[in-house]
Amino acid sequence: MGFFEQIAVIITRYYPYFLEGVKNTLIIAAMSVVLGVVFGTLMAIMRMCRIKPLKWIAMAYIEFVRGTPLMVQLMFIFYGLPMVGIEFPDVSWIPNFSRFMAGIVAMSMNSCAYVAEVIRSGIQAVDEGQMEAARSIGFKYGESMKLVILPQAIRNILPALGNEFVTVIKESSIVSVIGISDLMYGTNGVIALTYRSLPCLAIAACIYFVLTFISSRLIAMLEKRMKHGRK
Amino acid sequence: MEGNNIIQVRNLCKSFGNLQVLNDISTDFKEQQVVSIIGPSGGGKSTFLRCLNLLETPTSGKVIFNDVNLCSKDADINVQRQKIGMVFQHFNLFNNMNVMKNLTIAPMRIKGKSKEEAEEKAIGFLKRMGLEDKATSYPAQLSGGQKQRIAIVRSLMMEPEVMLFDEPTSALDPEMIGEVLDVIKQLAMEGMTMLIVTHEMRFAREVSDRILFLDGGKIDEDRTADEFFDDPHSPRLISFLQKVL
Repeated sequence: MGFFEQIAVIITRYYPYFLEGVKNTLIIAAMSVVLGVVFGTLMAIMRMCRIKPLKWIAMAYIEFVRGTPLMVQLMFIFYGLPMVGIEFPDVSWIPNFSRFMAGIVAMSMNSCAYVAEVIRSGIQAVDEGQMEAARSIGFKYGESMKLVILPQAIRNILPALGNEFVTVIKESSIVSVIGISDLMYGTNGVIALTYRSLPCLAIAACIYFVLTFISSRLIAMLEKRMKHGRK
Repeated sequence: MEGNNIIQVRNLCKSFGNLQVLNDISTDFKEQQVVSIIGPSGGGKSTFLRCLNLLETPTSGKVIFNDVNLCSKDADINVQRQKIGMVFQHFNLFNNMNVMKNLTIAPMRIKGKSKEEAEEKAIGFLKRMGLEDKATSYPAQLSGGQKQRIAIVRSLMMEPEVMLFDEPTSALDPEMIGEVLDVIKQLAMEGMTMLIVTHEMRFAREVSDRILFLDGGKIDEDRTADEFFDDPHSPRLISFLQKVL
């Protein structure tokens, strides 16, 4: 049997494994990005605020998370936290809830640090003169931010956030190591059943690529529309 | 023609780290006076101007605007700044807003003017500048000269009592300098109190009642416009004028 025939056979026989994996991968990526953006925004605000201790905490957190492997962070949360008595509860009607929670918490805590930097650099990329002009005309700091700086910063931030989503889709493959049935986990399952690693991995790679490609196209479209709005 | 002191500067010092930029400056600016500030780069001209509306916080000393010490904690700087217009070297129009929005947002949001009232006033200004067809343009679509004239109108919309100009023509192409200077001259004739940091010597002489020479963080010469150029005293000013004229 040739390579492509093998792929065809594997897909027709085992597609539920891949579908289940795609579903879970997307759930985890979407949840992580949403939570990452929410907490990343808070982290960015802390990072830029004038209260020194908050600023230091945010800086330390961002540096630490960006400087350690996601794998370690994931293991730390899934295996490490229960050892000190912090466990994610099980919910009977959602299978594997505690694993999912650990995966999403680790991914979003990780993503949050990157998002915070994206937001901070997006805001700081707006020319200082814009803030000076707004302040000199009599706007308060908060109003200047809301009316002048943030609308411009958003244009810098959104594309980079889109890239973050693409990254999270790819990196989420790591949650398979704690037994979350994402796409990578499903692929491993099919490999174990068929002993055909190459075609299975090729299928997984193609699916990941399609997911990230569609996402990045959607983001590009969004970007284009925003440019039109401004001209 | 000259009235009361509108701005009084007392013992103003400003340092950036170890670098002392302004060194104990004291002077007064009167209502309806046009004062140009001239001097070599790094002499503290822009910093001085930016201290007057507290875009830079003075290290020590006082800036008293209409009897309000802007440096004191009791002064609401946001309220005072509404009366002090500022025009920047790089225009700093709000890039996310079209011209009309740039002009009307502050009167509407800060002064509570109605949209109609603010727009009517803006259109009046734009017509005077011959820019009424630019109302819906974004800053990126305007030439430097147009941007700077819009920036001046944006300040005027707040009906300021004094206007600060920080090198308003330094970032312009030569052929656009004239149109901006004409607007400033027009304002001078209408009696607007103005402080202008500039490198345009001929313009300064033409428009100013008084010229300050700022060098090494100090006011080195403070004369009427004609005396400043015809009878300079300070050796630094004499050598500066020889180089630039």
